[in-house]
Amino acid sequence: MLSYDLIFHLLGLCVVGAPAVLFATLGLSTLLRQRPLTERTISRCSQTAIVIGLIASVAILGMMLGLGRRHVPINLGTWVHIPDYHFVVKFEFDRLSVPFAILTFVLCGTIGAFASRYMHREPGYNRFFVLYSLFLLGMIVTSLSGTIETLFSGWEMVGLSSALLVAFFHERPAPVRNGLRVWVVYRFSDAALLIASVVLHHLVSGGDFDKFLGTAPWPDGKAAISGYEALLVGLLLLAAAAGKSALVPFSGWLPRAMEGPTPSSAVFYGALSVHLGAFLLLRVSPILQLSPLLCVVVVLLGLTTAVYAALAGHAQTDIKSALCFASLTQVGIIVAEIGLGLRYIALVHILGHACLRTLQFVRAPTLLQDRRILENAIGERLPRMPGFWERMLSERTRIWLYRFAIERGYLDSFLNDYIVAPFRRVFTWCDGMERRSTDLLTGGKSRESDRAETASGPLEELL
Amino acid sequence: MHDTLTEPPPVVSASDRETLLHNLQHAIDHAGHLLPAQGPITVFIHHNTLHAFEDLTFDEAVQKGSRIFGCQPYLSKERYRAELARGRILPGDLRTVLRDDLGARADEPILSVGTRFDLRLAMLENRLHSGPDAELRWFIAETDALRHIRQEVPAATRSALIGKTRHWIMRDVRGSTRNHPLLAADPKSGRRIHEMLADLLRHFGESSIETWNDETWEAFTLQVLWRVCREGVHGLHNFTPPPPESIRHRDLLLRATTVDIDPQIHEILIRVCASFLDQGFSNWRMPHRALGFYRAFMILYEQPNGPPDTWLEDLPKELKRLGDNNIGPLESILESLQELGVAEAEWEEYLASTLLALRGWAGMLLQIETRGDRVTHPIPEGSMLEFLAIRLVLERLALRHAAAEALDFKGPLSQLRHAAKSRIEKHPPLSIDQRAFQVFQLAQILGWLPEDLHRLTKPEWSKLVEEIEAFSVMERRRLFHQAYEFRFHTQTLDALSIQSRRSTDRIPTAKFQAIFCLDEREESFRRHLEEIAPDVETYSTAGFYSIAMYYKGLADAHFVPLCPVVIRPQHWVVENVADSLEQTSRQRAKARRLLGNATHQFHVGTRGFAGGALLAAGVGVLASIPLLARILFPRLTANIRRSASGLVRAPQLTELQLERSESTPGPEAASIGFSLAEMTNIAEKVLREIGLIEKFARLVISLGHGSNSLNNPHKSAYDCGACGGTPGGPNGRAFAQILNDPRVRELLVPRGINIPEDTIFIGGFHNTCNDEVTLFDTGSIPETHRKDFEEATRIISDTCDRNAHERCRRFISAPLTMSFPNARRHVEGRAEDLAQTRPECGHASNAICIIGRRSRTQGLYLDRRAFLTSYDPTQDDAESSILARIMGAAVPVCAGINLEYYFSYVDSYGWGSGTKLPHNVSALLGVMDGAASDLRTGLPWQMVEIHEPVRLLFVVEATPQTMLQLMDRNPVIGKLVRHDWIKMALLDPNSSRIQIFRHGEFQDYQPQSSELPKAASSTDWYRGWRENLSFAAIEG
Repeated sequence: MLSYDLIFHLLGLCVVGAPAVLFATLGLSTLLRQRPLTERTISRCSQTAIVIGLIASVAILGMMLGLGRRHVPINLGTWVHIPDYHFVVKFEFDRLSVPFAILTFVLCGTIGAFASRYMHREPGYNRFFVLYSLFLLGMIVTSLSGTIETLFSGWEMVGLSSALLVAFFHERPAPVRNGLRVWVVYRFSDAALLIASVVLHHLVSGGDFDKFLGTAPWPDGKAAISGYEALLVGLLLLAAAAGKSALVPFSGWLPRAMEGPTPSSAVFYGALSVHLGAFLLLRVSPILQLSPLLCVVVVLLGLTTAVYAALAGHAQTDIKSALCFASLTQVGIIVAEIGLGLRYIALVHILGHACLRTLQFVRAPTLLQDRRILENAIGERLPRMPGFWERMLSERTRIWLYRFAIERGYLDSFLNDYIVAPFRRVFTWCDGMERRSTDLLTGGKSRESDRAETASGPLEELL
Repeated sequence: MHDTLTEPPPVVSASDRETLLHNLQHAIDHAGHLLPAQGPITVFIHHNTLHAFEDLTFDEAVQKGSRIFGCQPYLSKERYRAELARGRILPGDLRTVLRDDLGARADEPILSVGTRFDLRLAMLENRLHSGPDAELRWFIAETDALRHIRQEVPAATRSALIGKTRHWIMRDVRGSTRNHPLLAADPKSGRRIHEMLADLLRHFGESSIETWNDETWEAFTLQVLWRVCREGVHGLHNFTPPPPESIRHRDLLLRATTVDIDPQIHEILIRVCASFLDQGFSNWRMPHRALGFYRAFMILYEQPNGPPDTWLEDLPKELKRLGDNNIGPLESILESLQELGVAEAEWEEYLASTLLALRGWAGMLLQIETRGDRVTHPIPEGSMLEFLAIRLVLERLALRHAAAEALDFKGPLSQLRHAAKSRIEKHPPLSIDQRAFQVFQLAQILGWLPEDLHRLTKPEWSKLVEEIEAFSVMERRRLFHQAYEFRFHTQTLDALSIQSRRSTDRIPTAKFQAIFCLDEREESFRRHLEEIAPDVETYSTAGFYSIAMYYKGLADAHFVPLCPVVIRPQHWVVENVADSLEQTSRQRAKARRLLGNATHQFHVGTRGFAGGALLAAGVGVLASIPLLARILFPRLTANIRRSASGLVRAPQLTELQLERSESTPGPEAASIGFSLAEMTNIAEKVLREIGLIEKFARLVISLGHGSNSLNNPHKSAYDCGACGGTPGGPNGRAFAQILNDPRVRELLVPRGINIPEDTIFIGGFHNTCNDEVTLFDTGSIPETHRKDFEEATRIISDTCDRNAHERCRRFISAPLTMSFPNARRHVEGRAEDLAQTRPECGHASNAICIIGRRSRTQGLYLDRRAFLTSYDPTQDDAESSILARIMGAAVPVCAGINLEYYFSYVDSYGWGSGTKLPHNVSALLGVMDGAASDLRTGLPWQMVEIHEPVRLLFVVEATPQTMLQLMDRNPVIGKLVRHDWIKMALLDPNSSRIQIFRHGEFQDYQPQSSELPKAASSTDWYRGWRENLSFAAIEG
């Protein structure tokens, strides 16, 4: 038995270690070397890491099935231990995390192979793969984490790498603007997750999942907190999930995230990262069980998102937006399934949806040829497939809904004008007060940055 | 919003108003000319990006274009300097073009410091550092700019500079400091220099001046020089006028406040334009699209409870007002312009800059409204104007909001530009430091002594600085570019003048003859074919073989026009299955239809709500199989897919219905095809053009071409340009079928073309991406020709391998050590790879177009850079009507391709469509960057990456008289040549004399070399090299 544990431990280390070593290799070589690694070396490294990780996780799955173990924790030690707090790095292999990790390896591996050719000769090749490896590490850490702190660190890595990949073409303003937007939404959801983990620490004095989700393997855990506490924690986690999975009202960032190169849109927003919110909800599903009200909220949010995305997706005129609203529709449905307690269905739904959507995303640029082939096969223009509800609406409603759909539900405008703008006003006011008081104290202009000159026009070439 | 509307409108009579509206319409039409002329991406037509400016010379046009569009006219000067360093431009080239450019002004002296030529040459050859003030100050403070003389300064100049300054200081300055002020032109500045020198001497330690070492003297000299230069440029006028102030409110507001109103306006406009133009992608059509952009937008945005953005608060009210008062789009534009305070004289420029802010979409609206025949869902005329009307309404709203928020400006919008201008800080175009540093650097390079400089009077300084600044960065880039092209043109003409000395006799009995498209990608194919089988003759013509037709293949849904875009075909051609296979064909069509419908349902289903859930949860995981297979094993997967689809593919035994029985052509059964006379005309025309009217071989193969690749929205740009961006296989096939018709041959005899009975024509298709050649109708080749045919097939197959091999040298991801068959496999893999962004190199590196007999260029390694058009001047009539016909088609097409590549390379993001990695197909018409951007026109970077931006050099086998006449008769060609958009050279039909068009006439070209490198085979010449190669004679 002991030897099995050892094997599990070693394999588990491989699963987490391979992406970590990959990130360290690519990241350090970027920092330390004068010239980045060659394209060939980079793609070899990532292939090796993914194959090792994949084999190890499949081996763990095999052993778990063979030995009938449903829950394999791998503890990497307690890193901090003070009376009211301890920080454990722990990974758990169970029915939820193993499929998710395998999915991550398969999709990231495929997309890595895709990107190594697609990004060929791109000046940001190295940067892409550094961020890609960070993303991979983040996904693996998040899916296998056994404590909420570990989960949070993976969650952050995914967020950071995603935002930077959206802004990949940073020489143009639009990607940077949109990357920033993604980042802000992610920060919001990070804050919610962080607060949730603080609250949990207060409630059960520890962030280990087995403490507050029960020791029984997923999905049979029994949460160790009361219904109201569950509602509070659950709502915070739901907010975190909503930001990450682009649920209403945060959906606006998803189409904006298409600014990056095609492979990153494919794997991050089409397939993996957008499911991370749903994964979080699945992971804490024992908490959901405790509060029927919370379940109702989750179902409602999921369905609202699904309906909204289906409506918006119906009117989109470009392939990538259409695909990302299609993704969002399914993510909404998956969240609703989780709220209804259909956890296995939700898990299967995630796996299937991720594979399907990745395939569609990487094929997106071939849309014109595909349509031509289909038209030739059918022998006429492709038929339009209107939704059944279109006929049932009055003209006025239909026009109103159409505008609502192409404007993507005005969600971004709402966030801009009703959340961002008041925020900015408050902070500008605070800034003004600070300036006034420091000016008063120094008896003159107190802020050095005001005097800094900005470099004037780089148009020298055009003179 | 309404305070201006309550102002009484200026009283104008009805007829005045008519004139106003008329003028406005005119201004809009003119502004529209500047918009990109790219149509739907599915039929990509290469054209000159600055087509609107062809009335100007090339240099004027690119510089004007760069100001209007904000793009780069040439490569950067650093880039040219790098080309100079690596020997792509030789110093001699710079001298030649500079002297040529200056003409008589070259040797005018500039004060006492040298000639204009020397000054300008120094400015070209040396890197003159410049930049914003802060950067310069940093540069001077942190580098050794004031301690060491520039490295490239020759030792003699350097020691003279230091030595003479030393003498001057020791002898004159130190002697005079105590007694009388220095001699200087102007006493005040003399005093300042005197103080400055005294200060410097103190600083360097005057007491020990006798013991200063060389280094100290060097630093001291530079310090003196720098100070003299600063003093000299002090108080001079500005010689270059500041760039004109922008005319748009938005630009001024942006500069005054850093608030940009364009992104928020564009967000709405991009969505609405895409929905309005959508060619059937979206499942939900825009309501009331048929009413036009203006009305449709009104109906959509007039409704309450719309976008909550504060700046759009008044939009419904404003649209309602326009609707209620029956204000049409044109009137609305007039109203907007008046409210914005744009005077009539500014209209055209103002509207142009407004339209150019979202040029891709505006241009697409204009394209689709004018060429509705090219799309599935046409749009009403005037859509671009209606778009402009809406844009101006939105702009007014946004300006009002932004001005109030950021500028605290609440007055009428007509005052906004003034208010914004008063908030913009003004800087002189060049500061003292910037000007002085230029002189300082040049003084070192040219050895100007501080002693001499400090004696210059202010007017002399003024003259010197004006002279330096007149040779602006733009001018320097223009000259660099000329030198860059000059080197290439010299190499080309040298090679041609040497190679064309060879005999022009034809092969008496050719094994077979092959006809290609004039496309420069076929150059290598022809060369390899001739190398493998020296007794094969090759010809080329525009790839549609003069058969302009709407074509529908057996398995196609629609007719596709197969001819250059300027021609609207009058004939229709279909592919019919052989009678024996009709049953099979029908069954398979039915199967394809079923499969196609199912696939379409599946695709749409996965994007839906319930269907998506069922499919994703149910069979989604299975998608991982094709995903992995296609990405990891593209070539294998493609083979499997091909075999599988073979089960439902249309039968291969087919023929073209080329001859009609009705008298007039049409798309219905009996009117499909050409008449016998028309077919004979086509046959004669092509044969005469290429000069193949005798000595026919037993086999003549006519190949069309196209390109097949995946994940490539720009696929059409790789296809045959002469077929309107479509694969041209059917044209090659139709040509062969026409010429195999005994009746056509009979009719050709009286016209002097006698095709022997044992000559057989075979049509075919060359896929330029995977280098596969498919020959059609091979079943009907008689037994007598089987052996010839089999040999020809073998030769062509070998040629395909070698052609693939030569192409592979340009793909960095293909190893240089590959064998021929491996190279073929490599290109096959590229064509099937979803992740491949460079399936082939397209027209990249095109630079020459040769119109003449193949025998004049045969055996010359042209590196796939030359469009080759067969033309036999000895067969032409006195009016050169054949040449006129050939050039009438070839010049605009080839120049269009070349100039589009030029611009897309020179400024990839500005003129071209940038990197294709984030491209996203929108409305089935074009690509955007990401989910919402302007439509990106031009070519993506991956397509032009290996291009060398030089204007196309035409070399035509003709005499100057012929060509000058031709240029007069055909204004398009005349304009392109006279305005330097292309370079024209003539190769004498009877000798190797070359004349080149310069300064309005043909002048003799003097070859600079008499030797051409030789190689045993093309492979020997290119093996191991990835870059562009120079020309060589292949002597197998």
